Amino acid sequence: MASLPPIAIPGQRLGPLSTYSAGPGTHVQQSFIYASIAGPVVADPAQPKSQTRPTLRVSRVISSKDQAGLTSAVPVASSTTSKPRYNTLPAVDSIVLARVTRVQKRQATVSILVVLDESASQPQDQARTASDNDNVASILASAANPENHSSTDELRFQALIRKEDVRAVEKDRVVMDEMFRVGDIVRGSVISLGDQSFYYITTARNDLGVVMARMSRGRSPDRSENMQLFELGPSPCVAFGVLFE
Amino acid sequence: MADRRRINGPPGGTRPPVFASLQESSTGIANRAQRQRQPAELRKIFLKTGLIPTASGSSYLEFEPSVSLAAARSNPKSLIPPSSALKLACTVHGPKPLPRSAAFSPNLVLTTHVKYAPFAARKRKGHIRDASERDLGVHLETALRGAIIAERWPKSGLDITITIIEAEDDRWWGDAPDSHDASWGMMNVLAGCITAASAAIADAHIDCLDLVSGGVAALVSDDSNQSASSAPRLMLDIDPAEHRSILSACVVAYMPARDEITELWLKGDSSRAALEKDDGRTGHEALIDGAVDAARGANTVLAEAVRESIARSFA
Repeated sequence: MASLPPIAIPGQRLGPLSTYSAGPGTHVQQSFIYASIAGPVVADPAQPKSQTRPTLRVSRVISSKDQAGLTSAVPVASSTTSKPRYNTLPAVDSIVLARVTRVQKRQATVSILVVLDESASQPQDQARTASDNDNVASILASAANPENHSSTDELRFQALIRKEDVRAVEKDRVVMDEMFRVGDIVRGSVISLGDQSFYYITTARNDLGVVMARMSRGRSPDRSENMQLFELGPSPCVAFGVLFE
Repeated sequence: MADRRRINGPPGGTRPPVFASLQESSTGIANRAQRQRQPAELRKIFLKTGLIPTASGSSYLEFEPSVSLAAARSNPKSLIPPSSALKLACTVHGPKPLPRSAAFSPNLVLTTHVKYAPFAARKRKGHIRDASERDLGVHLETALRGAIIAERWPKSGLDITITIIEAEDDRWWGDAPDSHDASWGMMNVLAGCITAASAAIADAHIDCLDLVSGGVAALVSDDSNQSASSAPRLMLDIDPAEHRSILSACVVAYMPARDEITELWLKGDSSRAALEKDDGRTGHEALIDGAVDAARGANTVLAEAVRESIARSFA
């Protein structure tokens, strides 16, 4: 088996389809796997019990595992660390962070801020790089700032949370106004690519729901308000932060 | 309809008058630039990605100035540069959601804009895109559409914007317009646009079949021999300012790993090419092969620029 290149550029031949199966960031032509984006090549080992071949993929964002292989392969590396790019599209079952832009009686409109990398949500990949986490935090911080609200919504993918997708139990007693407020940051899972303009998102799972909210202006941040806000979440939240003015 | 919100220059553009006596004088200011390269030798290309931080992908491309231009820059004898060298910047925005009014699209919707800076050419360009700029945009879109794997990006759009900072001349500036005139400089510009856009797309991590690069070849009649018997010769990567008459030119967008052409633009009369005796190709076949060779050369630079961009972003 020929050794894999550490870094691939689009159009570079990576390996035959008889040894590997094609993963994300690659395409197949004439029973060979070619890279379709530039980045480090990762061969995910096959599951031991199944008969499948190892999966070749070209990584979009770097994980600590890829980093180790890359630093040895790339001798020269400038010290400027650029932001990891989240240009992955929302797909069915991907976890997204979104900001509520409009709350209606039957649905809430959100705009998707980040599509979380699926490899990052896997438990063995829990240790993400520091810059990765910083980046999500900075995106959320700027998104939660009311000054930035209307300006960039045109550039973001829009999604809907329908009333019946808010939580798994007592679906018919959901009141949207009590679940979401404009400006809340919601962690949701995509259930459908939807129509031409909206994706569909659900929060009906224990790890999904409002993860960040902001007190309304001019009210004193006392303990009871805090608890009140906590109950506003549609389901128990994994993380919860309240930003006071 | 005049644009009354801006203070506009004269509609026709301005050029300093050049007098015939000046060109004929032996002071050397009006020396025609001569091609110093071999017929198959390309100009050096500078290509760098990721220069525009707000875009999801970007690149900057520059062609090596010709010997006479480099000499004129270091030791100027005249205010008029003898030739020009291509400089352009490319930005890629997206994938981003389609506008609300757009219909559902299961594929990536590609939009290309090519714009000359007002100061890019010898004649001033307006702020509104003219026919040649729209034409370049369409050619660029065809070239890139064949390389992008559009079905991986449903419901999203990709905007590619190219600003040409310095364009190529269509002919030597001192020449009077004649019958062989055509927008030869545009073909070099298109080739540069294709290479730069490909680098910017790779920088934006959009799925592509291959890195697509542009190349130009032309049939040029020999400057030194003005007799009618001299047949035009094939040259790669021409600088139109260096040749007295260009008979035909061809630009291709080429993917070397797949040996596929995504865009082909042939202009002029290619029937009278002077090829080797045992060369069975027709003129336009030779022209296309030459352009593909030029594109292969540009691709080596492109691949290296993309590798650099990866090393930078994953450092």
